[in-house]
Amino acid sequence: MSAAAALLDRLGRPGDVRLGTAEAQTIPRLSTGLVALDRALGGGLPRGRIIELAGRRSTGRTGLACAIAAHATQAGETIAWIDVEDALEAETVAAAGVVLARLLWVRPRGVCDALRAAEILLGASGFGLVALDVGDARSPCPPPGWPRLARAAERSGTALLVIEPQRQAGTFAALGLEVTGRRAYWSGGPGRLVVLDGVESRVMVVRNPIGRPGQSLVLRQAGG
Amino acid sequence: MSRIACLLVPDLPVAAACRADPALAGRPLVLVEGSGPHAHVVAASRAARARGVQAGRHTVAQARALAGELVVHPRDAAAERSAAHALAEVAASLASRIETAADGAVFLDATGVMHLVASEAALATALVTRAARVGLEARAGVGAGMTVARLAAEHGDGTEVVPPGIEQGFLARLPLACLAPAADVATTLQRWGIHRLGELARLPVAEVVTRLGPAGAALVRAARGEDERPLAPEPLPTAVEEGVTLEYALDNLEPLLFVLRGLVERAVARLGLAAIGCARVELALGLDDRGRDARALPLAAPTRDVKAILGCLRTELEGHPPRAAIVHVVLTAVPEAIRAMQMGLFVPPGPAPERLATTLARLSALCGPDRVGAPAVVDSHRPGTARTVPFALQPAEGPSRSPADTVCRLVVRALRPPRPVEVFTERGEPVFVRGEGLGGRVVGTAGPWRVVAEWWSEDGVARDYYDLELTDGGVYRCYRELGGAPPPAERGARSGSLGRWYLDGVYD
Repeated sequence: MSAAAALLDRLGRPGDVRLGTAEAQTIPRLSTGLVALDRALGGGLPRGRIIELAGRRSTGRTGLACAIAAHATQAGETIAWIDVEDALEAETVAAAGVVLARLLWVRPRGVCDALRAAEILLGASGFGLVALDVGDARSPCPPPGWPRLARAAERSGTALLVIEPQRQAGTFAALGLEVTGRRAYWSGGPGRLVVLDGVESRVMVVRNPIGRPGQSLVLRQAGG
Repeated sequence: MSRIACLLVPDLPVAAACRADPALAGRPLVLVEGSGPHAHVVAASRAARARGVQAGRHTVAQARALAGELVVHPRDAAAERSAAHALAEVAASLASRIETAADGAVFLDATGVMHLVASEAALATALVTRAARVGLEARAGVGAGMTVARLAAEHGDGTEVVPPGIEQGFLARLPLACLAPAADVATTLQRWGIHRLGELARLPVAEVVTRLGPAGAALVRAARGEDERPLAPEPLPTAVEEGVTLEYALDNLEPLLFVLRGLVERAVARLGLAAIGCARVELALGLDDRGRDARALPLAAPTRDVKAILGCLRTELEGHPPRAAIVHVVLTAVPEAIRAMQMGLFVPPGPAPERLATTLARLSALCGPDRVGAPAVVDSHRPGTARTVPFALQPAEGPSRSPADTVCRLVVRALRPPRPVEVFTERGEPVFVRGEGLGGRVVGTAGPWRVVAEWWSEDGVARDYYDLELTDGGVYRCYRELGGAPPPAERGARSGSLGRWYLDGVYD
């Protein structure tokens, strides 16, 4: 075959439509720091994708997000935390293991500004994780916003972790986790000091189009 | 034996105007002081002088009569100052001892510069080349003293080097006008038949003094290449300042950014001479209402990235536009050494410093400058205090914990400000809580823990904290204020609540 023909075969002739290669693309992963969860997710959170972490109040979704952030910052990643409700408490987050100097804390004044901040951070590239904590906002993102965030995350290679009460990204999220079934543990008793020992909940992988959905594991979060 | 180099820009005011507006280069340009047709021409470009325009003699009307296509510009002191400083920085990039003259010429001690350049000719060439990088067309000369160096720069080939011992031969052929003598002294010397510096140098100084006074003696010494005084080095200002006076007031952001781009590019070129970056940008805007708008923009990391600096300026001006149209702009770049970030082999790279600067500026414009940063633990017993510190990239370090060691901890989502709630108690223990967005019977309690902070001040804190699990599914952190009387609504038939109760956190 002549060199020109070989080159055309490799690059494609005008009008050719390529449907992708036969080899599966390996998506780089961001380890969560929890061995069981990493195993369930196939290595960790997918970089360059939207991950939803949903759960009702006091189920431990924020603690789980902080554990992921702690592991990422301890591994040298620079991360960002978009805090819509201004709920981040530095003492407890530091006690959870997050290296505060590697965390960029952004406090927008509403959900719209939070989405804009997420786009800005994803556009900067270089952040290993951007956590978008919408608190208890019921509709964090208008429908046209999810595709833009998904594209921005893919271009930057940053994992966008959306912490919310209910999953809302639909097909634009590459991974959906739900934290349910919270049970609080109290130690002590009458005549003795009673403390909140921790919270146990169940983390379910409800959506994982690039892996295996349906897995669940028990998450025990220790009290302060 | 000392060696002095001189770097000068002929017609510095014209060169400064062309540096600020490159479209003026090559055109018959005059700079004027005053307004209207009677304004005086204070500087003229080569093209204008070729048409007969003379600075200091003609008015605008007279100059236009000589050259119809004349370009008239007001003299811009800010641009001239910037050009003079830029020239000084060029000299400072190659020598540690420099002196600037009143007309903008710069003298530098060339002794010992050979560790930087191969020869004095290379030094002269390097000076001219670096001056071109900052937008100035300069001439350089090297000689045994300031006088010889200056004359070499003015009348040499542009990078003239007068070797040691050859000064007399170089100076002899130069005309008397090189030394710019006073009119009466020049007339007298010409009457004596003195037309060249060589002839003047042969005159006895004592005789010249009696006939022409000290000015004549100084001319004779200059003709011999002797300096009146040695080089007097002076320190350069640390900040790099670029300014321009606008022809007409600007009230639109895009044209202002176009002007700022030119200023930033010139400032960055000057910073590049010393291989340093800009750590902070200070912008001083002269307004149409005779007011002034000054602002300072810190950058996340020292940088010479024009785009990053312009991005920060754009974000700042879009978020806080000036109150009036702008007539004068001075941009000051505060320098700092660009820190090389040591990348780790096994550590993720992180965001690029120059992009981070722009990102932080955009986030600050969106959310507020005090709402973007790294969280910091406040060293205080007062609960609920939050503080942010400026965010900066951290040096690469190896991972400190392996995945197996990560412990998942329950964290508290703070409520800022704390939310008042109604708490009903029995025998001093909370049994029911009701508030905005929450409510239920207490099924788990821990506490109280007493927190007392800053008892000596009027807004000191004294609280009893409780962890409460309610039947609505939430685990909350509440506190009861120990100071003050309980509100009337809480005194009633039921056991009621003690003091005022607030919810300041949710365990999640």
